[in-house]
Amino acid sequence: MLEICDLKVSYDETEILAGVDLDLLRGDSLAIIGESGAGKTTLGLAVMGLLEERASGRILLDGKDILSLDEKEMRKMRGKDIAMVFQNVEDALDPLMTVSDQIQEAISAHLEKGDPREVDDRVRRLLKSVGLNEDKGGSFPHQLSGGEKQRALIAMALANDPQVLILDEPTASLDAVTKAEITCLLRERIREKIVLVITHDISTAAKLAEKMAVLYAGRIVELGDTKDLLENPRHPYTRGLIRSSPNMTTTKDLQGIPGRMVHGVPGCPFSDRCTQRIDRCRREVPLLKEAGDRMIACHRGGIVPLLELSDVKTSFGDFAAVDGVDLTLYEGETIALVGESGSGKTTLAKTVIGLFEMDDGEGEIRLEGEVLTRRGRDFYKKVQMIYQNPKESISHRMNVLEAIAEPLEVQKAGSPSERRAIVKRVLEEVELPTDDAFLKKYPHQISGGEAQRVAIARALVLNPKLLIADEPTSALDASVQAKILKLLLNLQEKRGLAILFITHDIALARKVSDRMAVMLKGKIVEEGPTSDVTTCPVHPYTMKLLEVVAPHLAPMRGARETRDGSGGLWEVSEVPPLRAREL
Amino acid sequence: MQDLEMRHLNGPEVGWDGQKAMEKAKALLRRGTFFSNYIIAFVIILTLNFVLPRMMPGDPLQAIYGEEALLAMTPQLEAELVSRLALDQSIGQQFVAYILALLSGDLGHSYYYNQEVLSVILDFLPWTLLLTGTALVISTLAGLILGIESGYRRGRQLDKTLLAGLMFLSGFPDFFMGIVLLLVFGVVMGMVPLSGALTPYSGLEGLPLALDILHHLLAPLAALVLVRVTSAYLLTRNTMITTLKENFILTARAKGCTEGQIKYRHAGRNSLLPVVTATGLLIPHLITGALFVEIVFSYPGVGWLLYNALLTRDYPLIQGILLMVTVAVLLANLLVDLLYSKLDPRVSHAR
Repeated sequence: MLEICDLKVSYDETEILAGVDLDLLRGDSLAIIGESGAGKTTLGLAVMGLLEERASGRILLDGKDILSLDEKEMRKMRGKDIAMVFQNVEDALDPLMTVSDQIQEAISAHLEKGDPREVDDRVRRLLKSVGLNEDKGGSFPHQLSGGEKQRALIAMALANDPQVLILDEPTASLDAVTKAEITCLLRERIREKIVLVITHDISTAAKLAEKMAVLYAGRIVELGDTKDLLENPRHPYTRGLIRSSPNMTTTKDLQGIPGRMVHGVPGCPFSDRCTQRIDRCRREVPLLKEAGDRMIACHRGGIVPLLELSDVKTSFGDFAAVDGVDLTLYEGETIALVGESGSGKTTLAKTVIGLFEMDDGEGEIRLEGEVLTRRGRDFYKKVQMIYQNPKESISHRMNVLEAIAEPLEVQKAGSPSERRAIVKRVLEEVELPTDDAFLKKYPHQISGGEAQRVAIARALVLNPKLLIADEPTSALDASVQAKILKLLLNLQEKRGLAILFITHDIALARKVSDRMAVMLKGKIVEEGPTSDVTTCPVHPYTMKLLEVVAPHLAPMRGARETRDGSGGLWEVSEVPPLRAREL
Repeated sequence: MQDLEMRHLNGPEVGWDGQKAMEKAKALLRRGTFFSNYIIAFVIILTLNFVLPRMMPGDPLQAIYGEEALLAMTPQLEAELVSRLALDQSIGQQFVAYILALLSGDLGHSYYYNQEVLSVILDFLPWTLLLTGTALVISTLAGLILGIESGYRRGRQLDKTLLAGLMFLSGFPDFFMGIVLLLVFGVVMGMVPLSGALTPYSGLEGLPLALDILHHLLAPLAALVLVRVTSAYLLTRNTMITTLKENFILTARAKGCTEGQIKYRHAGRNSLLPVVTATGLLIPHLITGALFVEIVFSYPGVGWLLYNALLTRDYPLIQGILLMVTVAVLLANLLVDLLYSKLDPRVSHAR
């Protein structure tokens, strides 16, 4: 059993690990993911007792504190009880020794007196067990391919059948095919051990480890089962990491995380880059706490639900345009609401923003956890809407400046000159000119794309948390549409803007949304991660919608139901070997 | 799969064996080009040695044998020399004659010693070989070991002391160090003999003789080693520091290798390569250093011989010595190259 308690490591003044706690039992595999510089490798080296710096805290292996051992005792444990598979970088193997000799060294380092023949035999068996031919043993590292070198490194780490195995970027420098082979090999060899997988490659982590810890600036911010954590990230940083890592089912455009990692900030380490921070985040360090199926270190309990609809109904006379909708929209997320005309999408949007009255009854709309009863100025500061026809949505009697500054006037924010400055800043954000000539233009004097940007600027000028976009680009050219959508995604990345994106264009929705909700006759008939809904739809109506736009993809439909939970967004299941190999 | 393709490309008649034979031939060819570099260098040296005296203005005989020597020359000797050097023939024939003379071991005649140049040099050469050889081995080994230990303890007391001390020593020229050692240990303390390579007419044999030779060798050897050790030391120390940062050191530590294994087997061996190259480059310096040290200690080696030959303007002898020295340097480089490919498997494969 490996127990890490309050492990802290500093290089010079910077705290690289700021208190890490982990408990691992035999057979556990844990992936540590995070950006470079998060302290992943430091953690691995600390467990190996290979840190130059003094570490504080405790690392207990079967009750023995590794950090308190002297170099001599530690040496005896390294490679025997705890071993590390290094990344196959250029010089991970000694260039002057044959592979066999290097593996043999790993064995003899822990033998008092070894029978040379027996050692040779063990080397041969090890080579075979990692899929290396015996005659490769006599080769020097420069004569081997990257995959072969990686195999040799694995053989070396396995030489003494260690209890704890640390895999440091085990596949980072390999091509996709070799990567799959090595991953497959590792999965076979690491059973019954305590395994730490250190990587920034989420797909490798998903394949090798059952549990996953996300490390940020020396602290674990989220810890949970690999599959759950990847399909439903709850810390904003985890979501950011996943959004920036493509896999073969990624549909939404890649998004990054604003800012860069800084160690040693007061309060939550992620607060500077977080779009949902509150004052407390800057002051206090959040502790890693149990939250449902996992542990999260966040003062807000993870990504907050911004808008929650439950059983929302809107009727016109006897006709129920929206007939009992449940939907939750999280901070910084896009939900695409798709469906044909008349399915109730726009009615739902207008109900949320307050243009239509919701039916009396059980239904509830919550914004940031609070039930909406009346919509005052505060509400419109947080929620804004943009419409299908930009030229119609801007008053013909207002020029650009007046149109964008109007929400500020309504909110009574700032003096006229301050408002002007704010308008200019927002115009820059939406990539429009800020000169006086443009500010004085009227809607009929600008193009459709420009008008929609002005509409977006007007919606964003109050810095809302939620943007309801009702067919925002259907009146625009394809190229202008692409630019506007990129703009929205960038704003989402920068500000954590949540977007309720209403469209009948599924192909478009697929590129901008995290989740997709399909509406039919006032009800949501299917909802899920966009890639799942678009590749393996369950509801017949969704299938029909997809078949209309992509008839050639039809055979894949309906597969999701039969899946046993493996697969999904991230391939967490067994990887079939790609080439026939002898093992 | 790849093998199959290769066979296919080579045609059916060239099977696996054929390919192996081709590999062998290629390896032999590589060997050939490796040695041919040395052969070309050797030929250039010979040619220069032949051409340079002949390019001097005036009588080639005068250029080769010097003005004074020519004055003492009898007409018979002159005639013999002219015919031996083929001076009455074309330049091509002269070159052939020169090469033929060299092949038969004829480097010319030293008029000062009134002996064949070759035999004069051979009389003095063993002492120089002893001096430079031991100096080379000791300074390289000491430099290596000190460098490895010092680099491994970078920034600690031992490292700082060694670095400062050796840098200080390397600042002195050889002959100055020689003079200091001679004065302190020879003149003031009387611990080492003041000159010579062995006690003359002592009649010693066996071990006492060896000890006597060692006794005479100590001071000049120390002078050479103390000044030379720094370059090997510095190079090893710096290479060691870089090597210790390489990933395979971490791999070795993670395997549980002992400190000694990491220091010598992994870091040390990998730091050796540049030192070996540098040692080869150092040999010419060592030879010039030995020249001065031999003069200071009146040590009867080739350096001392060259010095005397310069004083007496014994041109054939000077020329002979210079040829010997250049050939020695060439051989040393060849040895280093051969050693290098033994030490680093990557080199032999790259060639």
